[in-house]
Amino acid sequence: MSAAIGGAGPGAVRGAPGAPSPLARRAVAAAFLAVLAAAWIGSTGRVPAYLLPPPGEVGAAMLSLVATPTRAAHLGATLAHIAASIAIAFAGGALLAFAAHYARWSAPAIHGRLGPFLSAFSGIGWTLLGVIWFGVSSFTVVFTIVAVLLPFAMVNLREGLVALDAELLEMGRAFGRRRGAALRLLVLPSLVPFAAATLRIMFGVAWKVTLTAELFGGGRGLGYVINVARQDYDTATLFAVIAFIIVAVTLADRLVFAPLERATTRQFGGRR
Amino acid sequence: MNLARRPASLWLADALVVAAIAAWAFGARSLPEFVLPGPLAVAERMWVLFTDLEFLSHTVASTVRVLASVLIALLLGGGLALLARSVPLLDGVISGLLAPFLNAFPSIGWAILAAIWFQPGHLSIVFVQVAILTPFCLINVAEGLRQVDREMIEMARSFTRRRGRVLASVTLPLLLPYLAGALRIAYGVAWKIALVAELLGSTSGLGFLMLRAQGSADLTTVLAACLAIVALFWAGERLLLDPVARRFAAR
Repeated sequence: MSAAIGGAGPGAVRGAPGAPSPLARRAVAAAFLAVLAAAWIGSTGRVPAYLLPPPGEVGAAMLSLVATPTRAAHLGATLAHIAASIAIAFAGGALLAFAAHYARWSAPAIHGRLGPFLSAFSGIGWTLLGVIWFGVSSFTVVFTIVAVLLPFAMVNLREGLVALDAELLEMGRAFGRRRGAALRLLVLPSLVPFAAATLRIMFGVAWKVTLTAELFGGGRGLGYVINVARQDYDTATLFAVIAFIIVAVTLADRLVFAPLERATTRQFGGRR
Repeated sequence: MNLARRPASLWLADALVVAAIAAWAFGARSLPEFVLPGPLAVAERMWVLFTDLEFLSHTVASTVRVLASVLIALLLGGGLALLARSVPLLDGVISGLLAPFLNAFPSIGWAILAAIWFQPGHLSIVFVQVAILTPFCLINVAEGLRQVDREMIEMARSFTRRRGRVLASVTLPLLLPYLAGALRIAYGVAWKIALVAELLGSTSGLGFLMLRAQGSADLTTVLAACLAIVALFWAGERLLLDPVARRFAAR
């Protein structure tokens, strides 16, 4: 191997001997996966199933996640929790970011006090408080996720508003004095790429807290499913839920959010 | 500090904080203590969290484990990112498989798996926190390595063939701002999300304390622990992260 840290040594120039082709990297990655899979299959019978369930059991549990009506309902509940929370937190964050931007006197209160407080508050704290205040319910779950997501929405949308092109807005004022038209034709389109990036971040963070919130604060959702599985030492179902989430999050990020971010950046201009 | 020059909006921000606390105190007067305890009661309990020996042990346990996990995750994530960079053949495994896998892994999943796999204790909790924090460090340091000026490395390599020297005197200094950024993100996530590790199979820490207090409807302790976490988070930012960031941004 001639490539050093930084990968820019003479030996690492693209196409030079010693630099691995993309094909070689993929082959190594595939071999790595194959070894892992073989080790997992080989572990069947040697390791107790409650510690490491065999692949067949996990596959069957994954299938039952979508095929069994009660389990599919829990899956739907989780998706509904996430969709509702992202929508509410996005709207709330946008409202606060716009307020701080257009009513300057409120900016220190919003970005200097509320934002840092919300970003320092622990997600579990919101869940436990929610259970006491609202009981074990979907409302508690959505409350927790919204409280965790809100600072992300505020910070990211604020960046978008700060990056607005002042000269473009000035030109807009030269053409017309109506603020509504400037907002609709200039401000909102420039914000679209930031909105897309914000949604992508919120989606990733939402999955990190939703299951915890459902486990401690909600009677429905995948968090409830893994709580029952935990008490029954049903590790196969636990693995199935985790595998399902990893696949769903990765696919959604690659197939929906990354293309959305790229397309909106192309269409409406990038971050300045 | 000239108070007369302080902008009115800053005064307003502080006034709103005072108003919020006043509203809390007013609301707490007409509500039972297990629904909303007053700010004074919560402040007293917070004081206990930092002074009473039994409670202090929980606070210290959480703080020490958070700091240890952040450091281990930074070393592990940074090491993996460097490995992917120096051995390009492994890049597909590390950035293509490991990073997205760890990134999408639900945090409560690690907590449950650790409860099944390991004896309860500090090591089990640190394992969960490191598992949650590592992808954040890995992704940040990998991004930093991509941004490191290739020509600087090339120049350094024309002066010496010893890779250790290039790493120590060129790559690492250029990487420091990104390491500081990774540290900041990991520290925030550790207090906010990775504390779930203390909810399952743990008998110490602020997370355990909160769950136990919630079980006995002791909302005063739950709120005090929440605010103690906010205070510890801020203290760490001011005393640890900001100096680190200032020190390394100047280079």
